[in-house]
Parts: sequence; C-alpha cells; structure tokens
Amino acid sequence: MIEFASAALLVIGAFFYFAGTVGLLRFPDIYTRLHALAKADNLGLGCVLAGLALRAETLATALKLLLIWPLALAASAAVAYAIAHRAETLGIAPWRGEEEP
Amino acid sequence: MTGLEWPGLELSLALFLLANLVAALMAAERGPTAADRMLTALLFGSTGVGVLVLLAVAMRLPSLVDVALTLALLAAIAGIAFARRAWRGTSDD
Amino acid sequence: MIAAILFRGLVFALLWWVLAEGRADAWGLGVAAAMAATLASLWLLPPGRWRIGTLPLLRFLLFFLWNSLRGGLQVALMALRRWPGLRPAIQEISLALPPGAPRLLLLNALTLMPGTLGVRLSDDGKLQVHALDASLPVAAEVRTLEAHIARLFGVARGGMP
Repeated sequence: MIEFASAALLVIGAFFYFAGTVGLLRFPDIYTRLHALAKADNLGLGCVLAGLALRAETLATALKLLLIWPLALAASAAVAYAIAHRAETLGIAPWRGEEEP
Repeated sequence: MTGLEWPGLELSLALFLLANLVAALMAAERGPTAADRMLTALLFGSTGVGVLVLLAVAMRLPSLVDVALTLALLAAIAGIAFARRAWRGTSDD
Repeated sequence: MIAAILFRGLVFALLWWVLAEGRADAWGLGVAAAMAATLASLWLLPPGRWRIGTLPLLRFLLFFLWNSLRGGLQVALMALRRWPGLRPAIQEISLALPPGAPRLLLLNALTLMPGTLGVRLSDDGKLQVHALDASLPVAAEVRTLEAHIARLFGVARGGMP
C-alpha cells in the first residue's frame, strides 16, 4: 500500500515537472513562463520528495528529504520575484492575449 | 522474463526529468531575451534537486541526498542574494 | 529570553538529528553546531519581534499546501490544454500588512499560489501582481493569503505590531 502510494506520488511529481516544461515552452512571455516554472516544478519536487520520504527507512531520513522542499521553495520564490521584478524594471511589457480561434 | 531488467521507477523518472531539463535548456538557449535565459536559474533549483534525490534512491547512494540538500541550500542563498540585488537595482541600471 | 534560547537550541538539535539521519556517533559535533547556530540566530534575528503560535502556524501550513496544490494543478492544466486560455494582466493591490517579515512572506508565498506572481512591492505597501488569468478573483486570493499571514504573525491588518 505504502509502496503504491509512493510510486503514485513519484509519477504525479514527474507529471508536474513535465507540465512545467511544457508551460515554459508554450507560454507566450517571461511572466507567464515564470508562473509555469515556479508553481508546477515546485509541486513536482514536493510530490517526488513526499514519495521518496514515504518509503525511507528511518524517520530522520524521511524528514531530511522533506527538509529539502522549503529550501527549494524559498529559492525559487526569491528567484522568480527577482526575475519578474527585473523584467518589469527593464520595461518588458506582459503579453496581453489574443483571440482564441 | 528475458535477461533485461526493468530499470526501476526512480531511475526512469530521473532520466525523464533530465530530458525535461535538456529540453528546457535548449529552449532557453535560443530564448528571445536575457530574462528568458535567467529562467535556467529556476530550473536548476527544482529539476536538479529532483534528479538528485531520485538518483540517490535508484543508485543506493544516500549521500546524494546530502548533495541535493546542499544544492537546495545554495540555491536558496543565491536566490535571496539575487533578489536583494534586483531589489536595490530598481533605480540604478 | 531564556525560553527563546532553549527553544531555538532544541530546534537546532532536532535539525542536527535529521541531518545526521538519526546516527548517534556524531553528537559531540552536533551539540557544538547547535550551540553555534543558536548564537548566530540570536544575533541575526533577536527574539520578541513577532510571536508565532503553533496553531496559526499549522493552519497556515495547511492553507499553503492546499493552495500550492491548486496553483500547480491550475498552471499544469493551462500548459497542457490545446488553448491555454491565458488572460494575463498586472494588477495593483494595496497591502495592509506591516512591513518586514509579514510582507516578505506574502510576496514569496504569492508566487506559489494559484495564478499570481509578485512583480513589484514598494515601501508603501503597493504590490503589483501579475495574474495568469485576470478573469479569476486575483484580489480575493491575495486578500485571503494576507489574512492568513496576519493571523500567523498575530497582527491586525492595517495596524502596526
């Protein structure tokens, strides 16, 4: 049961990473790509870490895996803000949208 | 079964994430603006750490978890330093 | 003060236990590291500025987890749909949170919440938010997050701590 839940979490995590990459390639401007990377990739990492922590041998090992998540979150939130802020300072206008066919 | 061994879920997923990273890097390399290329900083934070922890389990190398932890820690420190610079850089460049 | 030192020392000792994966052979080094970390934390972050209760912290963590799940799912579906249906726009929202840690937490958490991305936070609390889909209730999301952070830090929104 735990084995199954762990495998499911790993696959779901990989799915979010994949969606993040697709968003990075398909979204039209720097701001929307930031949304895709920051949100989807971090959720992917969270799922992968949770999946591996589920089958860790000791509690300390599981907690160590989970400890990585807040660090990675802090990193990407800070970098995402820095990039968005810089882009705005440089006067990069956000993509405004177009009619769907 | 045949002589081939199933490579294991963790290893397959690690390779899958690596392929994602390569695809995104190729896109960033021909990205239109410098800001687009800066997105790679974000990518390495999340995808790099994900690949490392999966490999730690797949290869039975628990010390790779320490590498992942250190990478995440460095990414956090670098990210915050980066953000502070961008913060101050509002008027002077 | 004594309570703060003991509490932080305990937290750092626990952190060492996690990092050493529960092994007992490095406790000498661990005690030294935990003491050094406690000293550094007292110097860098003196106690008493903000009071964070256990229950509000737990509530905030649940709220955060749930919303980062929503946010990731939403952006993943947008990325994989045939027509992503993006209607991006930058909105300005005036924050009622006091400056310092609460605003910083809001700015960083916002990036992981559904459809929002912080773009510029000025000293007077005006926040520019980039929304993936401006037809969604962006301002309401920010307000909800703000209320959770205000409760976490035990401050009334609008009032100074």
